Amino acid sequence: MIRPMLLAGFAAAALSAPLSAQASPSAVPSFRPSVYAITNATIVPVTGPRIANGNVVIQDGKLAALGAGVAVPAGAQVIDGHGLFVYPGLIDSGTRLGLVEIGSVPGGQDTQELGQFNPQDAVLTAVNPHSVHFGITRANGVTSVVTSAVGGLIQGSAALIDAAGWTPDEMAENGRAAMVMTYPRVGGGGRFGRFRGGQQEGDPAEVQSRQVRELMNYLRNAKAYIERPSPVAQNLGYAALGPALRGEMPVLFDVQSEGQIRGVLALADSFKLKVILRGATDAWMLADTLAARKIPVIVGPMTAAPEGDAPYDAVYANPGVLAKAGVQIAFQSGDGGDGDARNLPYNAALATAYGLDPEEALRAVTINPARIWGAGGPARQPRARQGGQSFRHHRRPARRAQRGEACVHPRPADALGRPAHHAVQSIQGPAPALMPPLRAGRSERAAPRRFPPRCPC
Amino acid sequence: MIRTPLFALPLAAGALAAGALAAGPLVAQAPPAPTARQAPARAPAAQDSSRAATLPVLTMPVPAAGTLVAITHATILTASHGTIEDGNILIRNGKIAAVGKEVAVPAGAQVIDGNGKFVMPGIIDAHSHSAGEAINEGSRSITSQVRMQDVLREDAIGLYRELAGGVTVANVLHGSANTIGGQNAVIKLRFGLPVDSLLMAGAPPGIKFALGENVRQTNGPQIPGRAQRYPRTRMGVEEVLRDAFTRAREYQAEWKAYEDAKARRRKDAKSAEPILPARDLQLDALVEVLEGKRLVHAHSYRADEILMLLKVAKDFGFRIASLQHVLEGYKIADEIAAAGTGASTFADNWAYKLEAFDAIPFNAALMAERGVKVSINSDSDERARRLYQEAAKAMKYGGASEEEALRMITLNAAWQLGIDKLTGSIDVGKDADLAIFNGHPFAPASRVEKTLIDGRVFFDRDKAPTLENLIEQLKRRPRATTTSGGAL
Repeated sequence: MIRPMLLAGFAAAALSAPLSAQASPSAVPSFRPSVYAITNATIVPVTGPRIANGNVVIQDGKLAALGAGVAVPAGAQVIDGHGLFVYPGLIDSGTRLGLVEIGSVPGGQDTQELGQFNPQDAVLTAVNPHSVHFGITRANGVTSVVTSAVGGLIQGSAALIDAAGWTPDEMAENGRAAMVMTYPRVGGGGRFGRFRGGQQEGDPAEVQSRQVRELMNYLRNAKAYIERPSPVAQNLGYAALGPALRGEMPVLFDVQSEGQIRGVLALADSFKLKVILRGATDAWMLADTLAARKIPVIVGPMTAAPEGDAPYDAVYANPGVLAKAGVQIAFQSGDGGDGDARNLPYNAALATAYGLDPEEALRAVTINPARIWGAGGPARQPRARQGGQSFRHHRRPARRAQRGEACVHPRPADALGRPAHHAVQSIQGPAPALMPPLRAGRSERAAPRRFPPRCPC
Repeated sequence: MIRTPLFALPLAAGALAAGALAAGPLVAQAPPAPTARQAPARAPAAQDSSRAATLPVLTMPVPAAGTLVAITHATILTASHGTIEDGNILIRNGKIAAVGKEVAVPAGAQVIDGNGKFVMPGIIDAHSHSAGEAINEGSRSITSQVRMQDVLREDAIGLYRELAGGVTVANVLHGSANTIGGQNAVIKLRFGLPVDSLLMAGAPPGIKFALGENVRQTNGPQIPGRAQRYPRTRMGVEEVLRDAFTRAREYQAEWKAYEDAKARRRKDAKSAEPILPARDLQLDALVEVLEGKRLVHAHSYRADEILMLLKVAKDFGFRIASLQHVLEGYKIADEIAAAGTGASTFADNWAYKLEAFDAIPFNAALMAERGVKVSINSDSDERARRLYQEAAKAMKYGGASEEEALRMITLNAAWQLGIDKLTGSIDVGKDADLAIFNGHPFAPASRVEKTLIDGRVFFDRDKAPTLENLIEQLKRRPRATTTSGGAL
């Protein structure tokens, strides 16, 4: 349902392709599965080499064929991709999308539950599919986001969702993408991954160590509960931790400092957790360890100042250091309800100015997060389960790459821009996505202004 | 802390410059007095203790002054008269002495090789709170007597990070808790020099106004036991403004009567001895506004409240120099332009407040199209580091031309602050405030290589303490035993 709808909007709003009669402005848009083709575009599959002058055929919401010389089926709605670049839809690995409408209005906030331990909460339940933030996000090529709650020590499960849909279930690519926990830090800090709800009165160091003990106790109890020999009174919170404690569901930790990261590693050892780090501005200190332990790191937002007296480029350079060490990285915008998700590609581009390989940057907003978050996982798993049976966790990482989610960039260049040493050439020839082709003046502007912007995918 | 009056600054800067006129590569000179300053100590208990063990304290050396500097073979984005390919810039005594393709490099000039580099005017952030120890005097809604220059900190690390983003000038404003928040400080980011060196000589004084939700103080939770403060509505905000300027007019008249009586008495000794009016620092600043000597920078969001402010200003006969944020400016661009008012906005910030909900990223370009002088500001130490990317969004959204977008973070901001004769573009006679990039500033993957203020290199990536350098340093240190077999 979603994909054809998306593409219908995308074709009608923007590209000057001849549309079939049914898409005339007065007609009710058809959501029936149908066939589309993007022709003569430069296709960036990410998992393979770029295809010049290629066609993409989309059938029933899936990529049916792509390549140079691929035939366009009769009756397909054709989008002329001449001069355009087609990317997989970008994936933002850290947002509050669907949970926050207007930052200052309490009625528009669905981010923080009361209490320290809420593993049974599923963020997908709170996602408002009709939030206007989704459209804003799609407008810059971001088609999926991870959304998660804040507050306390265990926030519940995060969801990987499409940035379009009519119901939360319909949007869910993986409704239980990860269990979200906070590793307490001394004091506070950070803008998005910061430890918020768990702040308590008292000496910060004492509060921190007490909270670490509380978290470990809770996990121990949950482990005992799920390994119990015979049924006892149901505890939905403990039961919800089953998949995570069995290593079937990753645990996402929003952390910043080296101390927090080391704490998470120790916790992962104790409880055999499969962890994902997010934020992790100090991760460069442990790059080799994280690579050896195959722990993915969600970096960013790049739009965060370095902490303390860290070097001025510590945040910008962190992704490059991690990637060079062999850590699997993905980017988050850290959108807390302020529209930042649409700036995801510029986060990745910024990192390329400070040492990250541009191709890796592209992977870090497409295929890497698809693998990390298990795109194609279950929409909504049954909550508490009787007995200790296994939680079936469908992981079909690359499935989304086969689906009809694409982002067409109107600029004849990368979605991320180009590495610095290509910039001059970019100015002359292809210009980076952020920058439209240079024009001498307004009078030479070829196309009229468009509302909304030309890439509403 | 002892404050040097504004007029003493050129002397102070000159004295420092005199100590370091030796020839040789600009960056290799020994730092002049005062000695290199350290980055500020970390806030206590704000970090895990493990950090202290691994992070050496970084030092930022005070940059040297030069008399004759040349940047050669660079692409020069002038912001005033287009782009010069393969051009030279000659800097003499901190001012731009020549710019163009055919500019000769005199013997003895310190040469910065600009080959493959892009030079743009130093970025001017028209809305900053950097280096401010305190931002809001939130006790009353009119606090025009308080001054940002009294609470600046020379050791604010944000200044250095902003230099690393090409920023050379910032308009340090009070916050938006009050209808009239206080007197601004226009600073040059001379990080590493004594605090009074920050203040920019020649910049006219300004003042922060604020409208809307922040002034009403309705967004935060009600603190038990704390009385609510007038105003609580936009009606009240207008009333507070009109009340303040009514009082200021009366005060002004009182002083005029006094001065007139004094003049009469000088001519005629028999006329009555006038009584000295009571001095009111709050109203002094507002009288300066009425007399056009103090520029008003007004935090504002909704179109209707902006129209209200423009009407109040018109009624009292003063001009609003810049509207800050002005996210709904696109709705009333003609009215803003007609009032001779500038607009300093965000590129695409949105939805963080109810009054920020009708924002569109096309705002900057749409206002510019109607003749408003538009700047794009940061309002944040973090965002200030990448204003060049924010400006590029005015091209992406709304189709501003390259030079127009460039002016939004340079010349237009200078105009709003009344310093456009001094800085903001690469023109002969202006301060040599420059940012040198390794690619076009609007290309998403470009970065700043050097930032110059008055011809002195205040940021140089080649010498800067980067993460790469730090990792190298840590590798050379004896390895600490870590709990989980850490890499470093």
